[in-house]
Amino acid sequence: MAVEVAAVPKPRRRRLRHALVTPGLLGLPIGWLICFFLVPVGIVAAYSLGPSLAASPHPVTLKTWHDFLHSTTYLRLFWSSLQLSLIVSVLVVAVAYPLAYYLALSGTKRKYVLLLLLIAPFLTSYLLRVLAWKIILGNQGPIDSFLSSVGLHPLSLIYTRFAVILVLGYIWLPFVALPIFVSLESLDRGLLEAASDLYASRLQAFGRVTLPLSLPGVFAAFLFVFIPTLGEFVTPSLVGGTSSSSGYMYGNAIQDLFVHGFPDWETGSVLAIFLLGVVAVLMVVFSRFLQPRQVAAD
Amino acid sequence: MDVALSRNGRRLMRVFFALAVVFLYAPIAVLLLFSFNNSELPSFPLSGFTLQWYHEFLTNSDIQNALVTSAKVAALSSVGAVALGILASIALVRRAFRGKSPISALLLSPLVIPYVVFGISLLLLYHTLGISLGILTIVVGHVVITLPYTILVLMPRLQQVDVALEEAAYDLFANRLQTFRFVTFPLILPAVVSAFLIAFTTSFDEYAVASFVNGSTTTFPIYLISAFRSPHNLPQVIAVAVVVITISLLVVVAAEVWRRRAEARLEAA
Repeated sequence: MAVEVAAVPKPRRRRLRHALVTPGLLGLPIGWLICFFLVPVGIVAAYSLGPSLAASPHPVTLKTWHDFLHSTTYLRLFWSSLQLSLIVSVLVVAVAYPLAYYLALSGTKRKYVLLLLLIAPFLTSYLLRVLAWKIILGNQGPIDSFLSSVGLHPLSLIYTRFAVILVLGYIWLPFVALPIFVSLESLDRGLLEAASDLYASRLQAFGRVTLPLSLPGVFAAFLFVFIPTLGEFVTPSLVGGTSSSSGYMYGNAIQDLFVHGFPDWETGSVLAIFLLGVVAVLMVVFSRFLQPRQVAAD
Repeated sequence: MDVALSRNGRRLMRVFFALAVVFLYAPIAVLLLFSFNNSELPSFPLSGFTLQWYHEFLTNSDIQNALVTSAKVAALSSVGAVALGILASIALVRRAFRGKSPISALLLSPLVIPYVVFGISLLLLYHTLGISLGILTIVVGHVVITLPYTILVLMPRLQQVDVALEEAAYDLFANRLQTFRFVTFPLILPAVVSAFLIAFTTSFDEYAVASFVNGSTTTFPIYLISAFRSPHNLPQVIAVAVVVITISLLVVVAAEVWRRRAEARLEAA
């Protein structure tokens, strides 16, 4: 019996690979994404090229694109949203790095308990945490009412660019610590000991060994924050104001063009496709930094 | 000598870590405090203890309907996303085929699309096809955005499962479905549960995409945002927020403990 089974495997395994049908496995998930992800984005692209292209044969026009690229309003708004996202991502990575470093390299015994403590807020409701800040920063909220009750001037933090940066930073901080922790955790401590044996100070060992080896995690963390923040509209609509200097973002402009006031789907589609293009370029440019082996080999 | 941190450096970092934890949990603590405060306004000084807001939200049918709607949306979309995720993960882990990298890129691409862009895309699709908006139009969108998360959770677990076990089942004349049902599925169950929980909680909390394709359906997040516009609802919303956050924190901790035990048991076996 055992001899028989041992004799079978090779041809049998080959046959099995053919028996399991790849299209059968991939058909549904890929089909779903084509119907409800790629086609919808295609329709937005069609709208950006002219009103109701999908409904009636209408000449393709680049007028909306032309207007968009020549109107400084939207491009300026995009630029200020880009800056805001950059500030949030850099701040969050800078704060998360020492937290991850402490967990991964301090030799603390309860490292996974502490990690869970750090990440748990991220796994609770995003919306409720934003709403918590909306209450806290509010005009008659805890901070301002506390300040006036002790005789200080209230800060009126809500509906400002600062509020948007603070709340987005708060939202992303736990999540960002994770990829940095993973890259530091997988670091070979022998390398640090070798650096120390070669008379490197701790700072030198950090600058020459730890930091370069953790860069893939840092880049991943940065992208995880930067890309969603670039298209953010929920947080700014709750704690931001109505102009770019008070935290109104590009994503809010897209939402407004589709939902509020006077909808202009063509312009909204142009804004959306432009944002998608920028995100795609960022992904292509940065994806090479995300491959750990490449960076380690440099 | 510790090569990573000096003694003072470690102390400093411990303080920094403690401050970060305080920063992360303070807003939740503030909500907790004001959920028991006997005043319509969440402001200092506190004006006495009350359970009135909890009582009000428990008898508020709008909140309950919204919670039920969100539970339906989350249940349907997480089952859908996990089912599609299992199929896709098996293909990506077990099968060799041409075009694997563009296909896995497509499967993970909903991770990076800005939700506002995806929301309007779905809206235009439904508009073009003349589909009326409701629960199912939200579910379709939530399956798309949670599918990559399920794949990212399922793939590593599937990679750990020894192919020889599946082949042994085939050798014993199990068909494909039986092999999956009795061998593969039990072995990846911890990851399936994690994937389901992640998809469920993501969908339950999702506002951005749902806000474009909800029609007149009110999910819990949509209710919350609209409730914020009228100040007299605020105390109830704070109370319900405390309950939802507490439950999700408990689920997170319980799931993590359960997953570790289950994986330890499977590895020991």
